[in-house]
Amino acid sequence: MIQRKNGKNTLIDIFLIIIITVLIGTLLIVMCGAKPAAAYNLFFHGIFGNISSFSEIFVKACPLILTGLGCAVAFRTGFFNIGAEGQFYVGAMVTTMVALKLTMVPGILRMVLALLAGFLAGGLWALIAAVFKAKFNISEIIVTIMLNYIAINFLGYAVRSFLMDQGGNVPQSAKIDPSVQLTTLIRSTRFHTGILIAVGCVLLVWFLMEKTTVGYELRAVGINQRASACTGISVMKNIVFSAFLSGGLAALAGGIEVLAIQKKLLEGISAGCGYTAVLIALVAFNNPLGVLATAVLYATMQVGAGSMQRQLGVPSAIVNILMGVVVILILGKEVFHMLGRCRTLTAQKGEK
Amino acid sequence: MPLLEMKHICKSFSGVYANENISLTVEKGEIHALLGENGAGKTTLVNILFGLYTADEGEIYWKEQPVHFSSPKEAIATGIGMVQQHFSLVRKMTVLDNVILNLRGNRFVLNRAAAKKRLVELAEKYQLYVDPDAKVCDLSVGEQQRVEILKALYRNVELLILDEPTGVLTPQETEQFFEVLRSLKKEGYGIIIITHRMSEIMSISDKVTILRDGKQVADLVTAQTNPDELSHYMIGRALSGEMVLEGQPKEEDILYLEHISLEKRHRGKHLEPFDLHIRKGEILGIAGVEGNGQKELAEVITGIQKHTSGKIWLDGEEISHQSIYERYESGVSYISEDRQKDSLVTGMSITENLILRDYRKPPFAKGILTNRSAIMQNAAEKMKEYQVRASGKSGADTIVRLLSGGNQQKLIIARELSKQAKVIVASQPTRGLDIGATEFVRSQLVAQRNKGKGVLLISADLEEIMAVSDRIAVLFGGKIVGILNREEATVQKIGLLMGGITGEEIEKQ
Repeated sequence: MIQRKNGKNTLIDIFLIIIITVLIGTLLIVMCGAKPAAAYNLFFHGIFGNISSFSEIFVKACPLILTGLGCAVAFRTGFFNIGAEGQFYVGAMVTTMVALKLTMVPGILRMVLALLAGFLAGGLWALIAAVFKAKFNISEIIVTIMLNYIAINFLGYAVRSFLMDQGGNVPQSAKIDPSVQLTTLIRSTRFHTGILIAVGCVLLVWFLMEKTTVGYELRAVGINQRASACTGISVMKNIVFSAFLSGGLAALAGGIEVLAIQKKLLEGISAGCGYTAVLIALVAFNNPLGVLATAVLYATMQVGAGSMQRQLGVPSAIVNILMGVVVILILGKEVFHMLGRCRTLTAQKGEK
Repeated sequence: MPLLEMKHICKSFSGVYANENISLTVEKGEIHALLGENGAGKTTLVNILFGLYTADEGEIYWKEQPVHFSSPKEAIATGIGMVQQHFSLVRKMTVLDNVILNLRGNRFVLNRAAAKKRLVELAEKYQLYVDPDAKVCDLSVGEQQRVEILKALYRNVELLILDEPTGVLTPQETEQFFEVLRSLKKEGYGIIIITHRMSEIMSISDKVTILRDGKQVADLVTAQTNPDELSHYMIGRALSGEMVLEGQPKEEDILYLEHISLEKRHRGKHLEPFDLHIRKGEILGIAGVEGNGQKELAEVITGIQKHTSGKIWLDGEEISHQSIYERYESGVSYISEDRQKDSLVTGMSITENLILRDYRKPPFAKGILTNRSAIMQNAAEKMKEYQVRASGKSGADTIVRLLSGGNQQKLIIARELSKQAKVIVASQPTRGLDIGATEFVRSQLVAQRNKGKGVLLISADLEEIMAVSDRIAVLFGGKIVGILNREEATVQKIGLLMGGITGEEIEKQ
């Protein structure tokens, strides 16, 4: 782990990270008073036990993929969008609204319109922070975090007022008509069409970033804003675009969650995935395909840990702790490599 | 008894020797010059001496006692002071506070009065005049350098290391600075001075040690050598001949700045209104001490900063209201001063950086898609034509950060010297490059001139300006204070203008 010279070292790094993570996981399991062997057995059984639990991985991964993708797009352009959570809520809210109120439009078309409206709303929501950054140079990190609170609490307000189910007295919306819901693809599981949409988005974003002039601009702006501006690229245009796309993707996750899983709007619907998304994008180095892999891996761990928790009482929070460990190890590794690079660089510069 | 001896110093970075078996002796009252190209190992050597690096092998003796420094603090405590190329001063603090900052023996409550008395005495003694209560950010570069030296003297050092001290000074300021060095020498201080300017070595040093590729190639007594011999040792071959400026510039202007000025909110005037024109087939050199508006001038022409008043004409067409990109399309190319910050996206590959200006046009773009084969072909051609060398197997896909400064600069030149370029704004185009790359860059600029294009050459290196310019304009305080023709330009005249003494005043003298 001294200097990144070839892929072999990266592999060693990954291997070491896995070992350290497993060790810490084992330690945490032992501290709960459970036997690691039994716990890991249940962990894997929970994942591969049957088709229903296996497909649960993708159900859990779906919102993570989309929000993670949103963060990755923004981060790559140098727009630090920490607001996926809020954008998710805005998307969920607007999608629900269209799905419930636009009754003159039939079934599938209404579903598509609902998702598109959610995407648009989330994109515009993120745009607020982009405009503040571009116009007044206000940190988008702070603005997006603040916007999260507004969105989360506004949803709480909505499900108690204009979106509240008239028939009940619980703070949640009415149930969405089955014709507008996203269909389940495998019977007796929750594997739904939204998962395919998420994977499609990954491929689309990857293509956009790598194969188009739009992506070229976004990447250039993300790496060196000043040089991009000096060679004639509009930094503002790119930041605004990436913020919109990023917010839209997170909002799409919210819309899909409503139309495929909950079938109605309620509080806490994101389960914090907008924040996990930041970590996922970091671990994936903002690579769309990496986001897909990381999100699926994370969901796998969640599903396995859920099974551990049900059977052995080992808290599934372990997964979150381990995710934190992985992030710190990866960032620590980067710092480590960076120090190495700096040393060589100063050495080279020092020759003057 | 020698003051300092470094014996058989070796230091390598990732397997490459930066210093290979280098020995150096400095006596009391001796000015010892370290000469060498960029990358020859000069700074590495003094950084080892100052405790910033640790040598792999070799010993250091201070007054015949072996010493070992693991930090600059230990070096200073022993008696070695260093003035870095980039000053290490706290800009918002006063001169006095900078001098006593982090001083051993500081009490919890500072005794500023006593410190000030001692500082003023020191300054008087060595003619290092500077106001102890002035804030560093209000001082000129020359004054800041004096503060750095005072800082070292205040710590009772006996050996001063000066890394490229004259780069930021006018010729006249340099002469004053050398006077200070001579008086320090008389007092018995040892001085190590790093420079690549032959004339300075000849005028100030007693001995010269020449490094090349990390090796010690010569130790000479200055009085017994000459610039030709020095440069021969330094580059290992004779310098190729002077640049040939073919024919005369045409009569028509290619670029005309009409009454251009630049003001920034709260920060006053950066460019005072002036006129400036560049003719077809002309290199106009802009001389001046750095920070007198050079960067602003370049950025106003290229469109990065919007000028406050005046008009810019390119080949008879007004471009004042065009964006950066439109100006490039019209024919303004830019080789920026800070290549890694302003001109390259160093995290991207060579191929991608080469299309930074033209990625949105065919053949590099097909609709919104990028055309990889055209981009690759472009990279291969440009790399060959401009001798961009990428080490390793990635070739054109090498990340630009990993290239040497010279190759990075060639990359920018390959991109900017495009067919449509009419005017090339080149800011410090050879800074930090080795002699080979420097010659290449200059010959490219001269070739553009000979083709009938206009070149605005901004450089802190007076020798460079005088070597290739048809006319030389001098910037001082954001204003053009004088324009000289090639024939009438002398170091003396330009130097006075650089110090803000205008043409008429020179006439009077």
